[in-house]
Parts: sequence; structure tokens; C-alpha cells
Amino acid sequence: MRPVWLLLTCAAIAVLAWLGRGLVLPVFLAIVFAYVLSPILVWADALAIRRSVAVGALYAVLISVLIVGGVLLGPGIVSETASLMDRLPALAQRSDRGLDAVVRELAESAPALRRLLPEGEGWVQRYVINRGFGQSEDLFEQMGHAFLLAILVPFFAFFLLRDMPRIIARAMDRLPPQHVETSLAVWREINGVIGRYVRGVVLDGLVVGTLATVGLWAARVPYPLLLGAFAGLANVVPFFGPLLSVAAAGLMVVLTPGQGLAGVGRVAVLFLIIKVLDDTVIQPFTIGRSVHLHPALLLGSVVVGNHALGVLGMIIAVPAATLLQETVRLLLEHRRVLARHDLRRSSERLIV
Amino acid sequence: MFERYVQRWLAWAADPEQALRAPLLARSPLFSGLPRRLLARLGTRFLEKSYNQDEIVFQEGDPGRALFVVVEGTVEITQATPKGEYVLRTLGPGDAFGEIALIDNFPRSASARAASLARLLILYKTDFDALMDGNSQITNVVMRNLAHLLAVYARRTPAVVTDANPAPKTGNPP
Repeated sequence: MRPVWLLLTCAAIAVLAWLGRGLVLPVFLAIVFAYVLSPILVWADALAIRRSVAVGALYAVLISVLIVGGVLLGPGIVSETASLMDRLPALAQRSDRGLDAVVRELAESAPALRRLLPEGEGWVQRYVINRGFGQSEDLFEQMGHAFLLAILVPFFAFFLLRDMPRIIARAMDRLPPQHVETSLAVWREINGVIGRYVRGVVLDGLVVGTLATVGLWAARVPYPLLLGAFAGLANVVPFFGPLLSVAAAGLMVVLTPGQGLAGVGRVAVLFLIIKVLDDTVIQPFTIGRSVHLHPALLLGSVVVGNHALGVLGMIIAVPAATLLQETVRLLLEHRRVLARHDLRRSSERLIV
Repeated sequence: MFERYVQRWLAWAADPEQALRAPLLARSPLFSGLPRRLLARLGTRFLEKSYNQDEIVFQEGDPGRALFVVVEGTVEITQATPKGEYVLRTLGPGDAFGEIALIDNFPRSASARAASLARLLILYKTDFDALMDGNSQITNVVMRNLAHLLAVYARRTPAVVTDANPAPKTGNPP
């Protein structure tokens, strides 16, 4: 291909990617969804069931499970959300009053600190309630986005699940024969690592979310379903996710009359137990051998991911670093095999 | 009437490509003896690729990372000698080659070339390892078949060369 055409093609791809940037999140979530479901379809492949039939049947089962789950858990989550939304302004006012009193007291007792202390009042109202939830129009816009995601993600995932094996087979078919084995090796390793990691993280989040819900309910912390669901979701982000979960539950305890510091202590102990269980029992079974990153590299990748892409970057940091590590390992192995086992020097030979 | 519709629907719902893989793998000496259920599971791990006549599948000295099974056409296994290319084997549908790559990390000791328009199934080493780790029956059957194949090659192949200057023996023989 001539350099001009190559440049034009690259430019066209860049323009298309920029125009379609709104689809990044739905496509990313669809890939995650497809990875979670793919083992079931491999099982269907072994039974020689056509992919479209298998995916259709799987979606029918999932919709049924969602309906049953919605009927069982939906009312609880809706009532907890509605109650929290009703109580939020009063809770914010109370916490603002307490915060303002502490700031005033500090400023009076230590005038030197006055310059360092924040000025103004109503911090929780201004920075948590107004920014976090915004105006009612924003809320409707966010609900519209969520509804669109709920439609687009399963839609894209359906086609990924149905057509991905065919796309991979066609791509391999067009590859020059000398690159087939290396390309297959790289694809299989990448696919394996991402698949195991995604399924492991989702299963881990489900277990942690369930444990947190049960634990918070037992500790009589308000909104256990919402906080448990948040703990399960936040668990996707290494290191910082569990801290966010304990902070959210602790804040809820502080804002609830009658819970006091003992309640905060109970929540801290509960999340510490869940974290220890997660690291020692749950993760070895769920994420297991999918990630072989050194802890320092793992933390570094999360920090770099956060700087580059925010929360999404923190989520994809670990699989991205693992992919890089696996690709380098494969290339080094390739070189090592060629260097170490020179056939001309070997004393014995067997065919192929 | 109803049965006919059900049969037609079942025929439509079946994946013909996957349905053909298990019987094909059953014909391969490497996988013979495996039950159909395990052959079907094994079949999902393969990737299919077409090769034109005289196209090189792999060359002597390449790193071996996959096993190949011939679906259609013929493949020649060749080795370069000072007198020219020597054809070790000619393989047809159901035959497997590149199996040594599944047990060691040595480069290919021979080349493979499509002698006619051919379709091959390719199994990546790690997929094979994962399947073996998860099922002892597959491990037992395939390893027995592999040992048998290696014994056959060792007996009939002139390419087995012993070291001209073996290392001096130490210790007493048992």
C-alpha cells in the first residue's frame, strides 16, 4: 500500500473513531457482557448448536432471570432509593450544620489555621447534592443515557457473541501462512487473559456485593441493598474500590441518628473481613491465575489508568498491563526458542 | 406433520461445521479412542484455515505453537537434505501433524507444505494444555496415542540420528 493511501486510511479511521466516541462505553460494556456469557456458548458449540439459536436461547433465559430478579429485588431497591432521595436534603443540612460548627470552632481556637480552613458554608449541599445529583433536567438526561445503554449493550453483545468466531476465522484465513501460528498464539493468550479476568472480576463483584449486603443488613446499617450493590460494583476498581465502599457505608452510618462511632467501627470491621476473605478465599477461585502481575506493577497500572482515562482507566488498567506483559513474554519466548534449540547442533532428531 | 417441522427446525438449528469436526477428529490417530462428547469439546478449540497449493504451512526451524489436522486436501511433510528436499510423509483428511509442538518448545524439525488446495484445523498449544489439564481422560488417551505415534516414527524414520561422539559413560550400568 502506498504511504498516501496508508495515511488517508489512518486519517479516515481516526475521524470515524472520533465521530463514534459516544459508542466507546456501550461497546466496552458489550465486550464485557459477551466475555461473561461466552463459556456457555462454547458449551453450545460442543453440542453443534447454531450460534444464533444458542445466543437467542441464552437471551431468553437471561430476560426471564432478570424479570424474576426484578420482581424479587426490584421493590426493595426502588424503595431504598426513593427513601434515600427523600432524606438526602435533610441529611445534607444536618451534616452541613455539624461541619460548619467544627470549622467555626477550629477557627476560633486556632486563628492561625483560619487561612487553611475552607470558607463559606453548606459544603455537602453544594458539592455532594448539587454536583452529584444536579438539576431534575440532568437527572432525566442521565436516565435517558442509562436507558440507551440498557438497549445498546445487549444489542452489541448479541452480535459479538454470534459473529465473533466467524470474524476471527475470516481474519485468520486472510493472514499469510507464516504469521498464522504467532497471530493465533497472541490472539488466544489475549483472549484467554481478558476472558478469565472479566469473568473473575464479575463473579468476585457478585460475591463481594452479596457478602456486603448481608453484612450491612446484619449490622443494621440503612440501605443495605444499595450499599451492597455499590460495594460489588466498586470492587471492579482495584485498591480504591473497597475504600470507596467502606467510605460510602461509613458516611451513611455517620448521617444516621443513633448509629454513632460504634456503627462506623462495625462497618470498618465488616469491610475489613470482606477484604481479607476476598483476597484469601474468593479471588483465588474467581480471578485465580488470570493475572500474574507484581503488586507494585498492579498499583502502578491503576494509577496510570486513572490519570489517562479516569474510572474507566482504573478498571481496564490491570487487563491492559497483563496483556502487555503476556505479549512481551510471548515475543521473548519466541526469541529464546529460536536461540536455544538450534537444530543443527542437536544430536537427535524426530520428525515434526 | 409436527414431527417433520421439529426435525426440519433441528436440522436448521445444528451447526454443520461443528457437527463435522467430531467425526473428523475421531479419524485422526492422535485422537482416536476419545468419546464423542470429548471430541466435540475438543473440536470447539480448533480454528479452520485454507491453504493454496504449494503454500508453506510452517518451515523447519520455526517455533512450534500449534497442531494441525487435515480436513481437505493433502499436506507433505518435508525435510531439507544436502541432496534436496526429502518428503517424509504425505497426509490426507483426518491426519494430524505438528504434534511434537504440543509436548515441547523446540522449533519445527521439518517443514509442512500444502500439496493441493487444503483446509486445515489448527489447535493452539495452550488450548490443548488447558483441555488436558481439565480432563484426565483426554490426557490419557492422547498421550498414549502420541507415544504410539512417536514409537512408529522412531522405528521407520531414517532421520533418527545418534550422536557421532557420545559423552563417555560414567558409573556402573544397573
